[in-house]
Amino acid sequence: MTVLTPAAEVERPASTPAAGPARRGPRSVLAVALFLAPAVALVGVLMIVPFLDTAYRSFFNDNGLSRTFVGLDNYVTLLTSSGFGQTLVNTLMWVVGTLALPVLIGLLIAVGTHELRWGALARFSLVLPYALSGAATAVVWTFVLRDDGALNAALAALGLAHLEQGWLLEWPLNTVVMIVASTWQGTGVAVILFLIGLQAIPPSTIEAAKLDGASGFRLFWHITLPQLRPITVVVVGISVVNSLKTFDIVWLLSKGGPGTASETLALTMYRETFTLARYGAGAAVAVVLTVVVVAVSWLYLRRQLQAN
Amino acid sequence: MGRAIKAVVLVATALLWLVPTWLLVVNSFTAAADYTGTPAWWPQSWGFLDNVGVAFAKANVGYGMLNSLVYAVLGALIAVVVAALASFAVVVMPVKRPALWFWVIYVGTILPLQMFLAPLFGGYATTALYDTQYGMLLIYAALAVPFAFFVVRNYMTTVPREMREAAALDGASWLRMFVSIHLPLVRSAMLAAFLFQFTWIWNDLLFGITLSTSPNVRPAMASLADLTSNYSNVGPPVVLAGALVASLPTVILFFAFQRFFTRSLKLTS
Repeated sequence: MTVLTPAAEVERPASTPAAGPARRGPRSVLAVALFLAPAVALVGVLMIVPFLDTAYRSFFNDNGLSRTFVGLDNYVTLLTSSGFGQTLVNTLMWVVGTLALPVLIGLLIAVGTHELRWGALARFSLVLPYALSGAATAVVWTFVLRDDGALNAALAALGLAHLEQGWLLEWPLNTVVMIVASTWQGTGVAVILFLIGLQAIPPSTIEAAKLDGASGFRLFWHITLPQLRPITVVVVGISVVNSLKTFDIVWLLSKGGPGTASETLALTMYRETFTLARYGAGAAVAVVLTVVVVAVSWLYLRRQLQAN
Repeated sequence: MGRAIKAVVLVATALLWLVPTWLLVVNSFTAAADYTGTPAWWPQSWGFLDNVGVAFAKANVGYGMLNSLVYAVLGALIAVVVAALASFAVVVMPVKRPALWFWVIYVGTILPLQMFLAPLFGGYATTALYDTQYGMLLIYAALAVPFAFFVVRNYMTTVPREMREAAALDGASWLRMFVSIHLPLVRSAMLAAFLFQFTWIWNDLLFGITLSTSPNVRPAMASLADLTSNYSNVGPPVVLAGALVASLPTVILFFAFQRFFTRSLKLTS
């Protein structure tokens, strides 16, 4: 998987032999600049500058009208605020839930269906929600989870009326339920990625293992899973980053409520900045979130890349 | 025995997955007048087209889809071309510190998107880009660059070195080498990146609700969110019908190219 080794590949000198026209001449420097400029300008101006601006803002008390330097106050306030622990727990629940559900289900469905003739049909039903928008997902899940929604109606019809709940009204149930909704939508991505990984396993490897008498679970555990490792790193890496950044589905289903009970870090950041107009405090949350995402991805990818 | 259990589990999972989709479709058919206040499990009436009409009239979902089509097509196109240029520079040209330039562009996929909202909101307000179609197109194109760059760049490393050496001996300029040799060879990676980024831009809600308010600027998903906040006015069937129609383009696009996705990604590995 080339996907896994960007760093390793870029470290390698990109153009060792004198292959380019007018190599090292002044025209060549200009040419390089012209090819690189659009991408660097777009990313630099619209992503890296905003990031630096956010980091800078986090040291100020800023209500949009006036701005005073407060040092690390915003960070201290955030880390000691009563809701912060709850937000961290929710974010952690999203990471664990996303690793446990979409990744695992995606793996099992991909492995279970890739050799079946009707497998495409089963996969179709899992991939369909991925093609639907987050907004469509939220609309239909609101519909399922309302007090008089489809889920409670189904429970009543099955004679399980005592299990009826206000699904989005109590923590931790609301976060768990939203993780399920997000799993419904996101598992298709994992299925597709694992399928690509499975296609890359040489059939001869599987045949040889089968000749040695491996089958079923042992074949899966000792042959398929290790061979899938490169793509697993990608799926897990993406899942960790995306779950730490969870925003859309919570915003659409519960707005982080009731109160701030189901907020994730991304929602706290959004609420501080846009609902309360406390730009400095919002920026501090954004920086904390960035540090967490970058640190976690770096730690995970570094270990995985070394292990390869 | 094991085979039968596996089949049962797979069928059960697939059916379970279809339940919300089923509810989405069935309830989008219920005419507003027939809606009882509780979701239906079977079609109650055939008011789908009326519902779509109401959604389009009340929340400008039609405008939103038109806007999103412009943003998604042009934004993804710009991003893919820009990404291809940068990939060529990093992979083929004698650039100093290619790893540094790689990370400068690639870091865009790691930063949390919410982080950009406040500075962009401020920057857009002062530069008069706020609530304009140019502003929306610009941010979507920029956000789509890093991932497109990653895909195209990796693919371009597979272009045989001999091909560019031959071109260099012929005295071809960088631009000619890029257009006549590398561009055709990375065509499929560029198409894959285009489709991924089209889907992403189409489904974006965050930047839509933050950087625009006017109906003639807002993308489809932001308009749809307006409909949800007017929930009591229009009723769930209308909301669902709007959501279903707004999702059709990506569903169609996604399934039309699903085979292509897997095949082209396989080539890069």
